Amino acid sequence: MSAYLARRLAYAVLTFFGITIVTFTLIHSVPGDPVTFYIGKSGTHGVPPAVIQAIRHEYHLDESLVAQYGWWLRGIFTLDFGPSVIDHRPAMDRILEKLPNTFALNFIAFAFAALAGIPIGLWSASRSGHLFERGSSVVFFLLYSLPSFWVALLLMQFFAVRHAWLPLFGMTSDDYLLMTTAGRIADRIKHMVLPSLALTYAQLAFYARFTKSALTEVIHQDFITTARAKGVSGPAVLWRHAFRNALLPLVTLLGLTIPYLLSGSVIIETMFQWDGVGNLYLQSLLSRDYPTVLALTVVTAVVTLFASVLSDVLYAIADPRVRVEGKR
Amino acid sequence: MKLQESGSWRDIWRRFRRSAIAMIALVYVVVVAFIALFAPLIANTKPLIMRTASGLQFPSAGDFFGEKEGIEQLPQGDVVLRAPIPHSPNEVDVAHRLNAPEHEHHFGTDDLGRDVLARLVHGARVSLTVALLAAVIALLVGSFFGAIAGFYGGWVDWVVSRLIEIVLCFPFLFLVLGIVALFRPSVYTIVIALGVTTWTDAARYVRGEIMRIRELDFAQAARASGARDARIIFRHLLPNAMAPALVSANFSVATAILTESALSFLGIGVPLPAPTWGGILSVAELHIEYAWWLALYPGIAIFTTVAAFNVVGDRFREALDPRG
Repeated sequence: MSAYLARRLAYAVLTFFGITIVTFTLIHSVPGDPVTFYIGKSGTHGVPPAVIQAIRHEYHLDESLVAQYGWWLRGIFTLDFGPSVIDHRPAMDRILEKLPNTFALNFIAFAFAALAGIPIGLWSASRSGHLFERGSSVVFFLLYSLPSFWVALLLMQFFAVRHAWLPLFGMTSDDYLLMTTAGRIADRIKHMVLPSLALTYAQLAFYARFTKSALTEVIHQDFITTARAKGVSGPAVLWRHAFRNALLPLVTLLGLTIPYLLSGSVIIETMFQWDGVGNLYLQSLLSRDYPTVLALTVVTAVVTLFASVLSDVLYAIADPRVRVEGKR
Repeated sequence: MKLQESGSWRDIWRRFRRSAIAMIALVYVVVVAFIALFAPLIANTKPLIMRTASGLQFPSAGDFFGEKEGIEQLPQGDVVLRAPIPHSPNEVDVAHRLNAPEHEHHFGTDDLGRDVLARLVHGARVSLTVALLAAVIALLVGSFFGAIAGFYGGWVDWVVSRLIEIVLCFPFLFLVLGIVALFRPSVYTIVIALGVTTWTDAARYVRGEIMRIRELDFAQAARASGARDARIIFRHLLPNAMAPALVSANFSVATAILTESALSFLGIGVPLPAPTWGGILSVAELHIEYAWWLALYPGIAIFTTVAAFNVVGDRFREALDPRG
């Protein structure tokens, strides 16, 4: 186990440096002067040379590439990505204060999708080939192809515009501060329903398919055939022999899901004006606030890396074969 | 020994054909591709055929390779045949802004009075161009890395695996949006951004397939006859590993259509005034109170096209590996 753990962690460290190199390359392959990165403009027109020189010095752009990469690494390790172009507060602070909002939304979407998707996947694998199951798997496959922003648009149109059952966007109502505690909680929940619904459905289809293929793979293995040959009844084979093994790969779901959820957050948070990191990312891109953009790119990649290492380790604990085979 | 049992392209096609859903999806893909290819002849203000003093003329055919800037003089003469949708995608008509679907505009008009159906037809052109180019880049890059990783194994395989791991660490949309915005949104930057982020699937498919076939007799024979590595990989192995890579290409096209429309929806996509499905939806968001037709039709266009590519890819994969 410790050998596997050591190898996995060593890979993770390498991948981390890969992430820093990719982001560093991204900064330096952008057309034009990297100075424009830090003044929030598309060019250096109209900016006094003295100011440019000062910025160049402040961000170490007057040093060699290797030295600049060193400064970039140092910034990442100390979580110091420089001040935001918008309000001159540290980019990292702005991210940290929005992270809980994104987490709340994604956690609900993750929980809903897992609670509904996994049982559906198990069910459809156990009835594989039946007419009704084939029909439902097509439906789930089609769900996968629905653009999330279109679904969000239709949800807004139906629930918020036509029927005014739920708020159209935002995280709280205008009169939030005047509400009682119970009223505030209800208000927050109401604002969460549509965005979390829009984030959930695609995940749901993904989990159902993932679970189904995991169980199908187990069903085709020799020990299931052996159990059947020994005369174990159909349902007992499924419940006692197959399900337990099929649940193993599900621990990797967390690692697989986080990047998808974060990607979805950019669209859904922007549409619902949800004050999270996805929304922040798009607004920073549009206003050329590159310190925030770079900070978010690195932070989300590292979070994804962490989740994938965690789920690999959990998988290795749950399934000893992984450690021996050295999967991945 | 998958391919040996399942046999040739003909066998794959025979199994694929058995699925009614797969055939419907394939026909739909062909129809959308046809619409995309012939968009200037389907939706155009200029007539298809005109009879003039100097004989027959075909004014809309000139738009086939991109519409010309500015106002164009139509030749003098009688219109013989109008385009099926007699509106160009960028024909502004402020007198008919946000008109609900009616006889003149079957799918209604947008906030500048442009015909939604015409924009959808031409939007298919933009979407499919971006998606196909992105899929080709993903396929080329992915096949290359997958092939050398599968053929050499060892440290080459290790390096490619780390590379894939690094790419997959970035949330997909973050990376695509970042690249597109940093390098200025255009068809090319979107294609490149999608290509460099989605090649990993093709690489994994090709790697597995090459590993499986590299020790088979025909590969041994090529090696025995003294062929160089590059020749064995690209002439002998890769063509035989193409089938699974094409499965992943179908999925990349689907992902690319979804992503391109998301980018256009967010305003960092193909620049205006190019008609895009996502672009129409972003106008729909502004007029969500009443302009339902702006939200409905482009959404259906994206959904059905993406679904068709996904279904074709999925059934193609099943046809390759009947046991799976």
